[in-house]
Amino acid sequence: MRGLLASVRFALVAAGQNFTRNLAVSMAGVFTMGLIMLLVGGTILLTHTVDAILNQQEAQADEIHIYLQDSLSMRTIADYEQRFAHDARVNGVSFTTKDQAVILAQQRGLQLQSAINTLGSNPLPASIDLHVRNLNDLTQLNSVAKSLPIVDTSSGSATDYSPHVIPVLKTVITWTVWVGTILSIVLGVISLVIIMNTIRTAVYIRRTEIEIMKLVGAGDWFVRWPFILEGVFGGVLAAAFGATIVALAYRFVLDQANTQAFLGVSFDGPFLTALVVLLVVFGAALGGFGSFLGIRRFLHV
Amino acid sequence: MSLAAVMPPEVGQRPDPGQRPVISFHGVSKTYANGTEAIRDVDLAIYQGDFCFVVGASGSGKTTLVRLLIREEAASSGRIFIDGHETTRMSRRRLPKLRRKFGIVFQDYKLLPKLTVAQNVAFALQVTRPGQRHMKEKVEETLWIVGLEDKLTKFPDELSGGEQQRVAIARALVHRPRIFLADEPTGNLDPDTSWGIVQLLLQINHRGTTVLMATHNREIVDLCRRRVIAIDSGRVVRDEAEGGYLREGEATI
Repeated sequence: MRGLLASVRFALVAAGQNFTRNLAVSMAGVFTMGLIMLLVGGTILLTHTVDAILNQQEAQADEIHIYLQDSLSMRTIADYEQRFAHDARVNGVSFTTKDQAVILAQQRGLQLQSAINTLGSNPLPASIDLHVRNLNDLTQLNSVAKSLPIVDTSSGSATDYSPHVIPVLKTVITWTVWVGTILSIVLGVISLVIIMNTIRTAVYIRRTEIEIMKLVGAGDWFVRWPFILEGVFGGVLAAAFGATIVALAYRFVLDQANTQAFLGVSFDGPFLTALVVLLVVFGAALGGFGSFLGIRRFLHV
Repeated sequence: MSLAAVMPPEVGQRPDPGQRPVISFHGVSKTYANGTEAIRDVDLAIYQGDFCFVVGASGSGKTTLVRLLIREEAASSGRIFIDGHETTRMSRRRLPKLRRKFGIVFQDYKLLPKLTVAQNVAFALQVTRPGQRHMKEKVEETLWIVGLEDKLTKFPDELSGGEQQRVAIARALVHRPRIFLADEPTGNLDPDTSWGIVQLLLQINHRGTTVLMATHNREIVDLCRRRVIAIDSGRVVRDEAEGGYLREGEATI
């Protein structure tokens, strides 16, 4: 136990010395690896966010919102609701009042209170919301809905559905996953090479020490541990650097996207936490493995 | 404190005829990847308590012999036994244990410049026996043996060449090895300092440690009259119990 503690202490002190004696090279390695971690983390987060947008769009894809004129009586609206409910292509019908439309818009990040105050009334129309059974019927139902006399034509768009967005998003996701995966693999290999070279420099600086250690009878792992710990430490530091920037950028970009483009994508805290943990573990593993490869050749003393 | 208190018990200089050699070579050859034959068909037996000079010109194979002993190099053919264990077929995993039987010093000392004298000596214990009790006392005792008890806190560059070699000897001695290997330990030293180092090695040998010293310092070998193993072009050409640097009657220009 005493021997184990002394070995651990020796490895930790030597790893710290390696890192600080070789500070410029170590920091350059950490910074470069940090940028790589940033790219890997950013790609994963981008894929996840686009996926979230796609899911949201897909959930809305089977919906047609028929915006109604303000002057319609509840009876007329109910008649049309009934007509659509009996249509075989329609799976479900619901009605959204003008007040509910405001609440829904606010949930998506739209600030309407000042507009309502200025206009003196609620500018949003009420709507009959249709859920279609088959997405292929969307276009046909949409043209039927548009021609109805109850439709509010003043807002320019009588109904609201966007089926063309989905294939585009799907293509974006496929490309993001492919490019992200290939980029992550290439960057992972580059990280390995960077770590290996950093450790080789550290090994070169300590070559006499390693030679003496081997000659007096230190085991391979006793010699390896300080360098592996140095690699793990560098990897964790790089991952922390990359993850911090990814997390800050995620919040900022999401805020901008929601206020500027009304995307309505919510901040996914648990996913971000998991991503940070994943990056740190990935950085540590990459650092440790890179060091192991870097020192392997020099152990044949 | 006397030397006897810290060194292994004395063993007679002359081996018992039935005694097992501590080092033995059986038909050992070493050919490097470039085709150089450094050692050719060497047979040797060295006993506990022997003091051997390994002599020969530069490139004759002395250093390869030392490297084969500690398995820094693997023999191309033949068998080497250390303390009864065959090292030629030993796995890498068992090499650290083998190397702990040896204390090794080189011509260039190989001291760590950022560590003090005491830290340099303690380093050998830290890496082979981490957490060992009474490390400080062991280091001080060993530095007392080599006559550097007053230089504990000095750094290598504050010492003379002879003193640096004494630190290297202390580092090689601190874990009480059975065999002491010295590869040209006086190569960088003036005659007086060299003689001091050899006397120290003789003193270590006197307490029972087997000493093997590779050298081409003719004066020292001639003065000591100990066992001489002469190597020429990788072959053992002479093995005399109390020899000189050259064969009797042999002369050089």
